[in-house]
Amino acid sequence: MLLGADWLGVLTEPLSYQFMVKAIAVGAAAALVCSVLSCYLALRGWALMGDALAHSVLPGVVVAFILGLPFALGAVVAAAIAVVGIGAVRAGTRLKEDASIGVVFTAMFALGLLLKSKLPAGVDFQSILLGNLLGISDGDALQCFAIAAAVLLVVALTWRDLVAVSFDPAHARAIGLPVGMLTGLLLGLTAAATVAGLQAVGAALVVAMLITPGATACLLTDRFGRMVWIAAAVGVGSAVVGAYASYFVRGATTGGCIITLQAAVFVAALIVAPRHGLIAARRASLRLRADPRAAALAAEGVGT
Amino acid sequence: MSGVFEVLTQDFMVTALLTASLVGVACAVLSCFVVLKGWSLMGDAVSHAILPGVAVAAMVGVPLSLGAFVSGVACVGLSGWLRNSTRLKPDTAMGVVFTGLFGLGLVLVAATPSDVHLKHILYGNLLGIERAELVQAVAACVGSLVVLALLGRDVRLVCFDPAHARVIGLPAGLLQFVLLAVLSATVVASIQAVGLILVVAMLITPGAIGVMMADRFGPMLAWAAGSTLAASVAGTFVSYWVDGATGPCIVLALAAPFAATT
Repeated sequence: MLLGADWLGVLTEPLSYQFMVKAIAVGAAAALVCSVLSCYLALRGWALMGDALAHSVLPGVVVAFILGLPFALGAVVAAAIAVVGIGAVRAGTRLKEDASIGVVFTAMFALGLLLKSKLPAGVDFQSILLGNLLGISDGDALQCFAIAAAVLLVVALTWRDLVAVSFDPAHARAIGLPVGMLTGLLLGLTAAATVAGLQAVGAALVVAMLITPGATACLLTDRFGRMVWIAAAVGVGSAVVGAYASYFVRGATTGGCIITLQAAVFVAALIVAPRHGLIAARRASLRLRADPRAAALAAEGVGT
Repeated sequence: MSGVFEVLTQDFMVTALLTASLVGVACAVLSCFVVLKGWSLMGDAVSHAILPGVAVAAMVGVPLSLGAFVSGVACVGLSGWLRNSTRLKPDTAMGVVFTGLFGLGLVLVAATPSDVHLKHILYGNLLGIERAELVQAVAACVGSLVVLALLGRDVRLVCFDPAHARVIGLPAGLLQFVLLAVLSATVVASIQAVGLILVVAMLITPGAIGVMMADRFGPMLAWAAGSTLAASVAGTFVSYWVDGATGPCIVLALAAPFAATT
């Protein structure tokens, strides 16, 4: 019994520190908003938009540092410039979407690095890149909560239209939705989520939060409503457990723990997912092999 | 006028110029394939995904570049497998793999005492390049150019008309993998020399310029390689004058002509 009580003490120890509780709360908020958006991005085929935006905010952050403004402001402005730039390149050239994204974000990231290399002391680059969840200030935490709440509110109000635009823009246009505006809105929300996530887990890892939960949910369900809930559960669960666990892992970054956990959940879903997992696929192919008639039908595309 | 060429009296500047130009040309040739194929962000993915390999290599004491290469190829292979065997979209599959590997790498680097310098990997150190890194980058870039020169025609066919390639009996899967392995090798070898951001940008922007300027593959290659060469030289000079990081200067020098073509 004594041993049991001791274990309990060790396990609850992190929660007795205020900075741990704050870290877990901020991580959960950032993960929630990123996970919800990741479903839309996975549908739209924009998984790497988060990657592009996370890199593009750098010049904004450095300029904000030079002028003594809040980082989030500079980040939002830079993200907006990147979104407009990507849109302009895509509309004005014959480049594919991925190349348009790539050209713009590498240039902006390079500009940020150049500006940063000219700074005397410089921003604490490590914490922009990797986040500093355990040492986050009250102001930053508040900012993160505010951004998360605003994004979730907008998504809640427009989620049906956003689904239509993400899933099938042509159909959305046909039924009279303002496709251009809604696409812009989705990008703007992604930019806001990126900024929120930046402070929690860092630029490098906010990317993962905008991809993996949606991808995991996509393997587990066919319905969008359910997909959002699953993604949110995966994202928030990983953030809470990862932040908590990082207390026990010597020297590990909190962000790294959160992302590794998310990836582990994805791998588990990949293997055991009821309809789209590897085991299910294997069993389906064995069934086909056992039944030549079904295999012939499947080969003709009947009943699939 | 003498001030302009003062740069060239410095040995390290000459080395930097030559390295940047060679890496630039190798990446520019690859970028033409990559941009046409819609793989622009593969360089970005590979460059993040090498981290766990580097950490493990540092732990067990094998050369870091070997670990990096293994981990980069693993990223390419896993993304391809995931794309083919699940219903995830290609970019989602790639994103899941490289972010997962990067997260794992961060945990490994933090948890093991090693002298892997994250910053060094990120920015490279073009002006203070070490001999071993230089040799490695040159070897990989020359190697990848030779492979592409030998197999270029087949790889092009496999990339742009897979059905035709299959009909005439080309090993499509193998050739595609060769292209991606060459890409990984170039990224890995160049990162230490010129830094991550420069490699990632050089795998996208030259091809984009080529697409804007030419309709045929040959001229596209020429535009891509030519603009990269010019940007490498101009960027290195500018970085000397403004005393700023070299890699970012070259990237910006490359982005400027792209902006002019749009």
